[in-house]
Amino acid sequence: MNIAASFTDISKKFGETSILEDINFDVSEGEIVVLLGASGSGKTTILRIIAGLENCNTGKVILHGKDVTELPARERGVGVIFQNYALFPQMTVEKNIGYGLKLRKKSKNEINKKVDELIELVHLEEHRQKYPSQLSGGQQQRVAIARALAYNPEILLFDEPFSALDAQIRQKLRREIRHLLKQINVPAIFITHDQEEALEIGDRIAVLNQGKIEQIGTPFDVYNKPSTEYVATFLGTANLILGVVNNGVFEAENIDLKLTDDLFFKNGQSVKLIFRPEDVFLRHPENLTQNYQKLIDGWIEEISFVGAFERITVRINFKNGQLITFTRPKTETENFPLQIRQKLEIGLVRFRIIPNFPLTHERSAKVY
Amino acid sequence: MSSVRHVRGFDIAKPLSIFTMVGVMLPLILLPLASIFIYGTSSGLDKFWQALIAPEAIFALQLSLVTSFWATLFNVIFGLFAAYVLTKYKFWGSNALTVIISLPTAIPTAVAGFSLLLLWGPYGLLGRFTDQYFHIMFTAFAIILANIFVTFPLAFGVIKPVFETMSQSLEEASATMGATRWQTFWHVTLPSLRGAIVTGALLTFARAIGEFGSTILVSGNLASRTQTAPLYIFAKFNEGQVEAANAIAIVLALFSFFIFSVLFFAQSWLDKK
Ligand SMILES: Nc1ncnc2c1ncn2[C@@H]1O[C@H](COP(=O)(O)OP(=O)(O)O)[C@@H](O)[C@H]1O
Ligand SMILES: [Mg+2]
Repeated sequence: MNIAASFTDISKKFGETSILEDINFDVSEGEIVVLLGASGSGKTTILRIIAGLENCNTGKVILHGKDVTELPARERGVGVIFQNYALFPQMTVEKNIGYGLKLRKKSKNEINKKVDELIELVHLEEHRQKYPSQLSGGQQQRVAIARALAYNPEILLFDEPFSALDAQIRQKLRREIRHLLKQINVPAIFITHDQEEALEIGDRIAVLNQGKIEQIGTPFDVYNKPSTEYVATFLGTANLILGVVNNGVFEAENIDLKLTDDLFFKNGQSVKLIFRPEDVFLRHPENLTQNYQKLIDGWIEEISFVGAFERITVRINFKNGQLITFTRPKTETENFPLQIRQKLEIGLVRFRIIPNFPLTHERSAKVY
Repeated sequence: MSSVRHVRGFDIAKPLSIFTMVGVMLPLILLPLASIFIYGTSSGLDKFWQALIAPEAIFALQLSLVTSFWATLFNVIFGLFAAYVLTKYKFWGSNALTVIISLPTAIPTAVAGFSLLLLWGPYGLLGRFTDQYFHIMFTAFAIILANIFVTFPLAFGVIKPVFETMSQSLEEASATMGATRWQTFWHVTLPSLRGAIVTGALLTFARAIGEFGSTILVSGNLASRTQTAPLYIFAKFNEGQVEAANAIAIVLALFSFFIFSVLFFAQSWLDKK
């Protein structure tokens, strides 16, 4: 795949406070990379640095092979979809979309042709003469995208474009935007703090924590193979059990779990076992999954019904009586009902071992 | 509102309070205004018309319009510029400058005129050096200077809040789309300010055209040379020519009504687009 944009060693300070450190990633042609992070983690700042609206202290911004680090925003040819869309209120939909071409001194004909094409692409035919204040949130967003596409941008940057919309519309728009981006094949960086959105929209996800990228990978990998505790917990619910590794086996009180991934740990290294609620399997005669390992026994503490699935809290056979949660689908709930205080054998389909760093600053050492 | 006794049907408080309000306004505002129209037309429209087209009267009106126009033009452009600078850049003393720009509102107009005299008059701070080359005081320029001084904060005061509330991302969006600073200002910033600029200009003009206190000190009040409309009213009244004074008073009053109607009714339209 061809690299469309790359960002190397970017760091940023506001005054004495370090906001971004060692940001490194690239975006391939036609790829959607999601920057996922909590509010204040530095997502918008990265985007502004790429767009040229903010300087970086170190690092390079390279767009299609060209180093644009020193160029002002207007010479970068980047399309930004701002959090509030920033449509020009005194211009109609048509004028908004044609603005970039007008600035580029294109002929009337050329502008009209391109505007027509884009209006059709984003389905705004009936709204072309309207002002932004007369449009719904979703329509405004489509204008913002069309407006940025008009001048064939090097890359599209979306800053939490759904945050102003209500949950139901959001889900629909996610799919629409992903579909559109794949159709036009323009590389894009998409910012969000919503993990579900990130998983659904991104080809790859970069998880940002306090100005550092903790992990970057496909939605499948960051979800199933988190390399840090932060990633594991930010992308969904995770169970964590403290232990050590010895000769390729995870050991904790009553647990001996053979490691399947070829991860390199020193013998005796303190680690954490991480697994998701849906990766837990129960042992009963009818349920003979081949590829799971026994973890430990436990007793059911609580059962709650959560719509599509059942959530079960289990007290595992540890001295400290640690609790873990798991979920199981409706079909299983109906076939094998469980009772509180029932004893179970708990197995794992999928799990992950990560180093346990007692101090946060040691976290920067990652597992690869 | 819980302390108000709500009675079904007729509520005496409503007509009573409206009556009181109008009762206060009547002798203070409405009757004086009405009287200029009643008196001015009492001796016939013909007389009124004659008073209006007297050369001195026409000159006074023209002078007022022209000097107010230049003062307005200057103050709107400067107000726009100052508002831009003071919202875009934070620097040492920027707050002090904002206060200073707004200061002329609080200064009595006679003091404003007097201070201009002390600066540009023949023995003034600067005037003593410049007087041998050109005169400012007692010319139309003095009137413009006085108008600029007293209306200085008006346009600025209307435009600055709009600048402050204007979303910065509009200008940033324009920049990412390829616009230079000037293009952004012209295509994005200025259209958002249209309402504020028109309002600021009308307020400035309305205030300038009625200016008296400072003008009478700096203009010299020479008929057909440096006499503005308000000064004409004052002069004619002193000479006992009440009809002449009244005719111009009516024109000025109508003019203010007109400007304020425009401000009042056009405001929502201007803000919308
Ligand atoms: N112009 C600025 N000056 C000082 N601090 C800033 C500025 N912009 C952002 N920050 C700080 O940088 C951090 C990251 O901000 P931001 O990139 O907006 O985060 P996010 O978009 O992930 O919520 C925040 O702590 C914020 O307060
Ligand atoms: Mg943000």
